[in-house]
Amino acid sequence: MNRLIALVLRHGVPLVAANVFLEQIGAPIPAVPTLMIAGALARNGQMSSTHVMVWAVLASLVADSIWFALGKRYGYRILRLLCRISLSPDSCVRDTEANFERWGMKSLLIAKFVPGFSTVAPPLAGATNAGIVPFILYDGVGALLWAGAAVIVGRAFHHAIGSVVERLENLGGWAVVFVVFVLALFVIVKWWQRVRFIKQLRVARVQPDELKAMFDSGTMPMVVDARSAGARKRDPRHIPNAVAASPEELIERLRDADPSKEIVLYCT
Amino acid sequence: MARKLIDEGFTVVRPLAGGFDAWVDAGYPVEAG
Repeated sequence: MNRLIALVLRHGVPLVAANVFLEQIGAPIPAVPTLMIAGALARNGQMSSTHVMVWAVLASLVADSIWFALGKRYGYRILRLLCRISLSPDSCVRDTEANFERWGMKSLLIAKFVPGFSTVAPPLAGATNAGIVPFILYDGVGALLWAGAAVIVGRAFHHAIGSVVERLENLGGWAVVFVVFVLALFVIVKWWQRVRFIKQLRVARVQPDELKAMFDSGTMPMVVDARSAGARKRDPRHIPNAVAASPEELIERLRDADPSKEIVLYCT
Repeated sequence: MARKLIDEGFTVVRPLAGGFDAWVDAGYPVEAG
């Protein structure tokens, strides 16, 4: 086991960088615990905080720039892909988009602190045609704040983290098993939530030709334009007879409506 | 959003597969804003 700790210490910084990169590229592997442990090790003089931070920021910038470029190239289509693989189905594209429109590039500063928003913000910035230089600046500062916060917390709680690590060390090889088990459990729970959510949606999804057929046969469902205000401004066209509304407005408007009336909603 | 409406008790809420882009790509009619 001591050999393992030595290994982690020797390759600690690249490990942290790899972890940050994987998380930012969209893998469900949280980097904050790793950053905190790195912070605690740095406090004990076993690692350099500066190295950890520089590498975390660089790794994050590389991953985010890839998403930024994809967002620029493929526009909003890439967001739907991300939503499908992100394992956080509840954070719909629409919510993130609304957040981004409200705060603009500044949202990159806090994006990493908001679950679900973190991976989606860079491609969104790309899709809104932001310049690469402001993107790198805002995203870099955002990564620095995020990694910095985790490392500082790790430094502050180095006693507690140290005793956890020590306990893990005493477990010997079981520590690895334990960590892998917790991580696997996390991924499985997320995955299961997602499968359930998609199943729920798939049953109900309307294909475009199906909706067209409804129009043609005269059975008019209520069509709701659920795009964000900004997306509607970019492309003011809409499906005939669609009602544009935010979720709150819609619930308000439908309060007195027949709950069995068919509602079809669409995003970008 | 579909989920929010279902939670509110609306039983037949169906998202459009592929969203607005798919509707436009299929060449179906749109109204100008």
